[in-house]
Amino acid sequence: MIRHPIPRPAALALAVASILVLIISYTVLSERQHRLNPGDTTLPTWSQLREGVGVAVHKNQRTGERWLVEDAKASLGRLFLGLLWGVAGALILGLLMGCFSPAEAFLQPPFSLLAQIPPTAVLAVFFVLAGTGDNMYVAMIAFGVMPTLAMTVHMAVKEFPEELQFKAYTLGASHAEVILAIIFHQILPRLLDAFRLAIGPAMVYLIAAEMVVGDVGFGYRIRLQSKLLNMSVVYPYLACLAAFGFAMDGALRQAQRRFCPWYQGSRG
Amino acid sequence: MKSHPVLAPFVACLAAFLASAPEVFSGPPSFSLAWSEYPSWSVFGVAHGLQLIDGREGKLGKIESKWNVDIVLKEAEYDPCLTMYGAAQCDAVCITNMDALNPALSRPSAVILPTSTSLGGDALITVDSIKNVQQLRGKKVLGLSKSVSEYCFVRNLELLGENEKDHNFSNMDPGAAAMAMQQKQPDVAAIVVWNPFVLETLNRRKDVHVLFDSSSIPNEIVDTVTVAQASLDKPGGKEFACAVIETYYAVNHSLADPATADDTLVALGEKFSHLDLASMKKVVQQTKFYSTPDAARALIAGKDLRGVMHKVVDFCVKHEIVAKAPEVGYGTKAEAPGAALRFDPSYIEAATAAK
Amino acid sequence: MKAAAVEIRGVHHGFGDKPVLDDVNLRIGRGQFLALVGPSGCGKSTLLRAIVGTHLPRRGEIRLFPPGADAAGLLVTGPGRDRGIVYQQYALFPFLTALENVAIGLMLDETSIPFRFFRFLRWRALRRRHLEMAVEMLARVKLADALHLYPHEMSGGMRQRVALAQALIMKPEILLMDEPFGALDEATREELQQHLISLRSENLLALDESRTPPHTLIIVTHELNEAIYVGDRVVGLSQHWDWRSEGHQSFPGATVTYDKATPHSSAKTDRNFGAFAMARDEIRRVVFEPQAPPGRNEHVTYWKTRASPETTDEPT
Repeated sequence: MIRHPIPRPAALALAVASILVLIISYTVLSERQHRLNPGDTTLPTWSQLREGVGVAVHKNQRTGERWLVEDAKASLGRLFLGLLWGVAGALILGLLMGCFSPAEAFLQPPFSLLAQIPPTAVLAVFFVLAGTGDNMYVAMIAFGVMPTLAMTVHMAVKEFPEELQFKAYTLGASHAEVILAIIFHQILPRLLDAFRLAIGPAMVYLIAAEMVVGDVGFGYRIRLQSKLLNMSVVYPYLACLAAFGFAMDGALRQAQRRFCPWYQGSRG
Repeated sequence: MKSHPVLAPFVACLAAFLASAPEVFSGPPSFSLAWSEYPSWSVFGVAHGLQLIDGREGKLGKIESKWNVDIVLKEAEYDPCLTMYGAAQCDAVCITNMDALNPALSRPSAVILPTSTSLGGDALITVDSIKNVQQLRGKKVLGLSKSVSEYCFVRNLELLGENEKDHNFSNMDPGAAAMAMQQKQPDVAAIVVWNPFVLETLNRRKDVHVLFDSSSIPNEIVDTVTVAQASLDKPGGKEFACAVIETYYAVNHSLADPATADDTLVALGEKFSHLDLASMKKVVQQTKFYSTPDAARALIAGKDLRGVMHKVVDFCVKHEIVAKAPEVGYGTKAEAPGAALRFDPSYIEAATAAK
Repeated sequence: MKAAAVEIRGVHHGFGDKPVLDDVNLRIGRGQFLALVGPSGCGKSTLLRAIVGTHLPRRGEIRLFPPGADAAGLLVTGPGRDRGIVYQQYALFPFLTALENVAIGLMLDETSIPFRFFRFLRWRALRRRHLEMAVEMLARVKLADALHLYPHEMSGGMRQRVALAQALIMKPEILLMDEPFGALDEATREELQQHLISLRSENLLALDESRTPPHTLIIVTHELNEAIYVGDRVVGLSQHWDWRSEGHQSFPGATVTYDKATPHSSAKTDRNFGAFAMARDEIRRVVFEPQAPPGRNEHVTYWKTRASPETTDEPT
């Protein structure tokens, strides 16, 4: 029946089943590929994958580092910094746009334009903006997620009821307090929602950029190992990325529940 | 190769079902060749344009009809070509001798045709303030890791008596490295790239120069057409190899004939970064074609190749490009039975003998 | 009643070409409970917003006379903490609990962002006091056991009571309410009206003790019973008035056509349902019915029946 809820155990069983289907499908594909070519490394078997994980976490003799650790440090650092700058910038600019009409008139056209351009397509611009080092990734992620995030903040501020703004003034609020103590709180959960949605694109930008310019990081490793057909290393790396995205999403969800306990209920 | 005991019957059934898809196409046996834009590989694109072969499935060009084999051309970027070949999604691939080692470990292969060698087509470009290799020590050199770029760099250091440890090779895509250098990025002082990026960078930035290039290591970076042994063993496999070889020399013939040389070169340029005639003339100097069967045989049968491949395998093992050294063989399958990668001149002979 | 708290002088307003208010004059004494009624579209809310200061009139002015102000009073140029407002909707900040909603006014009024940031310890101590005051205020509106509920967890009546507490804790010069109980069911509505009546009792008590009455109220409502029940003065704003007699060629906007004390306005008068019904009929006839529109001042008699506030004895 359309939109008819199912009991929780059933939902859980279906979730488990869907994962099982994924695992079985992969096993079948891999089996089939190995039937075709017993030496295949492009769809590694589970035991090959285990070896691949071993390679990824094995301490390199020459550098004394483990690939996964080294890459995770580099990539996650870039991702965090990029998202941090992107969200901070989007918050400030979105608030400006939502609260001040001149800022809105000035910023909205470029933002709606930039929101359509994938930053990875304009690598040259980011080279000029931030050089070829770590700053480039940070800039790319920050500028990549900022337009959409800023527009979300802008929309949320626009939807803020003017009655509450007026009320804040009658309660003695200054303009700064209306923005920082009232409007900011109201849009915070929406910002966190948008933040969650921005993690995916941010990772895509980072990986794509690392594939091209990185000398360390997830994208670099994935590109090199793909070229060398070491998919047994690549797939665990992708799993790590997915796990990280999942964890970050969960953390933001928790943060929303923790800092905006009013939000879930007040939407219904 | 092991799956969970409970799942095993399932898996086996499904796998059998999926693998048993019936053959629907009948006609001459079909073989696929994956190629990427490169002076001596774009030849196959040109051949398709000239209808010597027809790269579409089920369509035959002149040479295909002669050998009664259907060649399917799959054009892609270089890296996806390697993946395609490694995943057994194509029978043959245009690949360098160095990059062929790794897939050969899981898919025994034969080099049936050397197409060209890099003779300046890979180069280290530095800003003018770096005048010699000593000044390069410790500076960041950008290029694609674990590729012919790094090989060219390391081999030249060796020839110049430098210690590899004094130098700092750092990964960057050649396109991006060339772009960064053209933008005069302050931390980009030295790049190792291949053509067309070498020509392009030298054209667009005047205060840089080539410190060394692959002309010092002729016949070491070899571009090849490599075919899976399993495909060669199939009916029509040999004919496929011969057709590919004949196609290659047919286009080379046009390149050599003064009447058609420029036209063919322009056509080749269209399939290689849209370079114009003047640039293409430079490119084919820096990428020396093995344009005759004799030149190819001289390479494969010659003694030098064994020494070169020894160095290449060493390099690949040292730089973790291959997990273990693949056995490289020379001659027919019967002559080198256990080889993972085999340089086999017999197909060139078969193709030319049939004339 | 005593000194004027608010004076509305010659206020005109309109939206685009459409006139809304024409020459509205009102003098509201301190401690008065004024109910503003009128047909829909007459501009009641427009007038209220002008007093709040969020939508200033096109012509005319509104002046406030807080204790200590000079005779000219203070011109309203925008919203301020001396006027509390209770709206029908968006009564509360959805991200704050009942307690926080009530305490936030004290925070906004008494502290600034730099203070809260740089003098964190002082602020924490102050905050504790604010919360205590808010608890007390919520107890007064009978919400002592709902301190930590968020607005979406409260009923409409609870929300409006919190909103009342939120405004009252600021001790505003004048409390403005825009159809505050319009969305509530009858029982809840009466309960809240009772709250307002209890505020009026506080005023009477203060007068008895020769103190300044603490609450001055303007309540906009479309319910005549509510107006007469809660207010001690009913002002009718209406489009239906005899503007042609003043020489206007076209409709100039609504104006005050009714202004009288309610039957129970004097503390001594008991609730008299007969008087109640008569007042209601008169208001309905004068303010709501388009037939036989009255002249501008025909039924505006509030100040005529009592002394002007300037001349009355001001409590000391």
